[in-house]
Amino acid sequence: MSEPIARRNLMVEYRLRATRCLNCGEMYFPPKYFCNNEGRQSKMLEVDHFYERGEFFSGSMINEPTNRFSHLNAFVSAIIVFNESKVRVPGRITDFTSTKDLDVKDLIGKGVIPRFRRIYSDGKDGLIYYSSHNFSLEDDYYPYQKYEPVKPSNTDGKPGIVGYGVYIPKFRIKNEEPALGVLERSLPFADEDTTTFAVEAGKRALIHAGTSNRDVRKCFVGSESSPYAVKPSMATVIQVLELGEKFDGGFFSGGIDSQFACKAATDLLIDAASLVSYPIFNGRDVMVIGSDNSQAAPRDRLDYSVGAGGVALIIGKDDVIATLDHYLPYTSDTPDFYRRDGEKYPKHGGRFTGQPAYFKHVVTSMKTLLKETGYTPSDIDYVVAHSPNVKFPSQAAEEAGFEKKQYEAGLIVRNVGNLYSGSSLAALGAILDIAKPSDRILLASYGSGSGSESYIFTVTDKIEEKRKRSIPVKEQIENPKREYVDYYTYRRWKEMN
Amino acid sequence: MKTKPVAAIIGAGRTRFGEHWEEDPKAMIGKAGMMAVESVDKGIRRKDIDACYFGSFLYQVTNKIGLIPGYMSRELGLNIPMINTEAACASGGLALYDSCIGIQSGKYDTVLVAGFEKMSDRQDKIIDDLMFAADPHEFESGYNFPGLYATMMTRYMYEYGNGDPKCEEALAQIASKNHHHCIKNKYAQFSSKGEVSVEAVMNSRVVANPIRILHCSPISDGAVALVLTRPEVAKKYTDTPIYIMSSQEATDHVSLYTRSNITGVMATRLAVRSALDDTGLTMDDIDIAEVHDCFTIEEVFFLEDSGFYKKGEAWKNIYESYESFKGSGHIPYVKKGKELTVNLGGGLKADGHPVGATGIRQAYESFKQLRKEAGENQIDRDVNTAMCHNVGGTGGVATAHILMRDIQ
Repeated sequence: MSEPIARRNLMVEYRLRATRCLNCGEMYFPPKYFCNNEGRQSKMLEVDHFYERGEFFSGSMINEPTNRFSHLNAFVSAIIVFNESKVRVPGRITDFTSTKDLDVKDLIGKGVIPRFRRIYSDGKDGLIYYSSHNFSLEDDYYPYQKYEPVKPSNTDGKPGIVGYGVYIPKFRIKNEEPALGVLERSLPFADEDTTTFAVEAGKRALIHAGTSNRDVRKCFVGSESSPYAVKPSMATVIQVLELGEKFDGGFFSGGIDSQFACKAATDLLIDAASLVSYPIFNGRDVMVIGSDNSQAAPRDRLDYSVGAGGVALIIGKDDVIATLDHYLPYTSDTPDFYRRDGEKYPKHGGRFTGQPAYFKHVVTSMKTLLKETGYTPSDIDYVVAHSPNVKFPSQAAEEAGFEKKQYEAGLIVRNVGNLYSGSSLAALGAILDIAKPSDRILLASYGSGSGSESYIFTVTDKIEEKRKRSIPVKEQIENPKREYVDYYTYRRWKEMN
Repeated sequence: MKTKPVAAIIGAGRTRFGEHWEEDPKAMIGKAGMMAVESVDKGIRRKDIDACYFGSFLYQVTNKIGLIPGYMSRELGLNIPMINTEAACASGGLALYDSCIGIQSGKYDTVLVAGFEKMSDRQDKIIDDLMFAADPHEFESGYNFPGLYATMMTRYMYEYGNGDPKCEEALAQIASKNHHHCIKNKYAQFSSKGEVSVEAVMNSRVVANPIRILHCSPISDGAVALVLTRPEVAKKYTDTPIYIMSSQEATDHVSLYTRSNITGVMATRLAVRSALDDTGLTMDDIDIAEVHDCFTIEEVFFLEDSGFYKKGEAWKNIYESYESFKGSGHIPYVKKGKELTVNLGGGLKADGHPVGATGIRQAYESFKQLRKEAGENQIDRDVNTAMCHNVGGTGGVATAHILMRDIQ
């Protein structure tokens, strides 16, 4: 496919865009710009189905796919009908590993949810193509959620978290032996990567925040596993989630992809908070995403602790669920973990990544922030730290004077692995899932190379109201529909990123 | 009944269908064309041909060539008008339709019409290439052609199969029947394969559930050519011209998912209806039919779309026809004592399916059967009227031609 064709296709396929004739109501997918019934008199309105629930109309289990899709082995392709608009679209069922005795007729009538996924790529050096013509079954892992922007009741308050979304993929691998406390880890399905995680997390954050996508005018995506060396994931996130005012196929919003190992996203929370307070910023919210298909060389020590997933926070001043009260960064040039340009896997300094790198920076930022704010550890209800494993954040928290009851709830790394840029944010999400108004949370991130910043948030009473719109991390961890794969499958799917 | 034909077929030639590793497409058309010209009983010279019509789908992709008129001018040694038609699997049927228009218009007296395809030259990528005949959004949803037809078959079985295993069995019987029909067809790709049992079809590997490999037509190379002339002058060339009584084309959306109904093919319904209305015939007047059985479900659809069987009931009648047949010749579909024999040379399923050649091959087979020139494969009853049904994609286009020997 060529670049211009890719652009035209994505304009339709990212949002499942259709058109409706305003005169007679006839719907068209692919979008048509005149109505068959009304001809030149027709006035057409663009509508999309990105947040709609569809239904399986008919399909087939493709056992011998085209070369373009051979990387996915066998899968179900289908016709999906959106009952409200009556539009039918073709799609592929994702997150679905079917059995040989599948009777496709049994899928007819089942509810399905659009998912933004990678479809294929033009080799290793060509474009990667994505679409939302991928659907998970509604009774599977991924729940259906409506997106209904809510008018904020409390505007122009102190900057903080307006909403958040944590996305942990469905598939897991169990460690035969715990790796520094990590029992099992999430991994991408064959059609997932850092960009699709970022979109899913962003979608969940918008739904949770109830904020209008048009008000989000900046998007940062922090990652160390971007599918492209040059081409930002954030532009894809903006295009799919339609962040900012729409104009001529684009959006009045900006952002960047950032890189600082595992703290590529967290250090931008303060920038986001600053931005929403800055008078010439014409948006209300900023989206900060940490997303990674965490990289590790096969059979390296890291290969038993890395996970995959994405977390998005919407930072703003309206109806915040937690105010961002304090920030303290600490940085030094410490070469503990790195990946040279063009190399596939990161290298690390073994035990050097511990005391002189992780612990020094994390403990320093936590302790210094406590000192600067005058808080003692007992003033903090929950503490979360970047979690390469269970041992590191536990030990760092204890070195900073915290007790197990303060950090235990954030140790989701035990079940999802190290999410790299999303690690400490996912732990924060797990805390926000259970926190009560006025709880104080300390978040300490860490990025190799090296740096750590600590934040203190205070939870507001808005958290209870918005909680019904979140998909709690614990539910994702314990979801009975999660599936375990073997090491071979784990590596194969991970390598597709 | 209308007695004024559209055109007359006076000669026909074809290559064997299969894998022609040593031949390029131009050589195949040359051979089929030469055979067609030589087969004209009272003789015809190349200079008597006023124009050529070709049908092919993928030559630009499979063989990296374009400008078929230029190639064929060199191959045939002619400088007459030449037109190439692309309509996916209906390229041949549409070339025939176009050639009939050329003759009906009065512009041409005699034309050569040929279909060809050379698929084996790109067999590792052909499954992707064939998706040019589908909607790009279908391609990007992981579909291949078996998958698209399987989606139709799934829905058909869901709506009409009543959970009865005989429905699936009937879809296998079609494959078994068409393999049986091809055994004595010396040009068929699978003539040497012998009988293929219903059990073998039902146990063959699943390509796109519920479609199995033996429900599918193969990847083929081949070319077929016909010589057509004005009906009024046909007897100048042969005493037994086969008349084309009606030539029809209808279209529908390229995309399966935008069609209101996927348990049939509207383009088939429209084209067949036009052909029957045009001639004043009914399906009960049709003795034999060459049907587009790219996947066996498509033969079911034809039997219902044409009106021969009621909607949703073809599979029951197929099953009963197949089970009650005790002879050794062609296996007809039966309806209240009326017999319709379908795909006498094996159809796309067993004769082969070099995509652009298929529509012309159907007319070739009908021509031979109606003239009683099908040799060992000749049907064992007298037949006078044939229908040729060619479909492009999953039904984005369909052509229907009614052929007749004796028109008085």
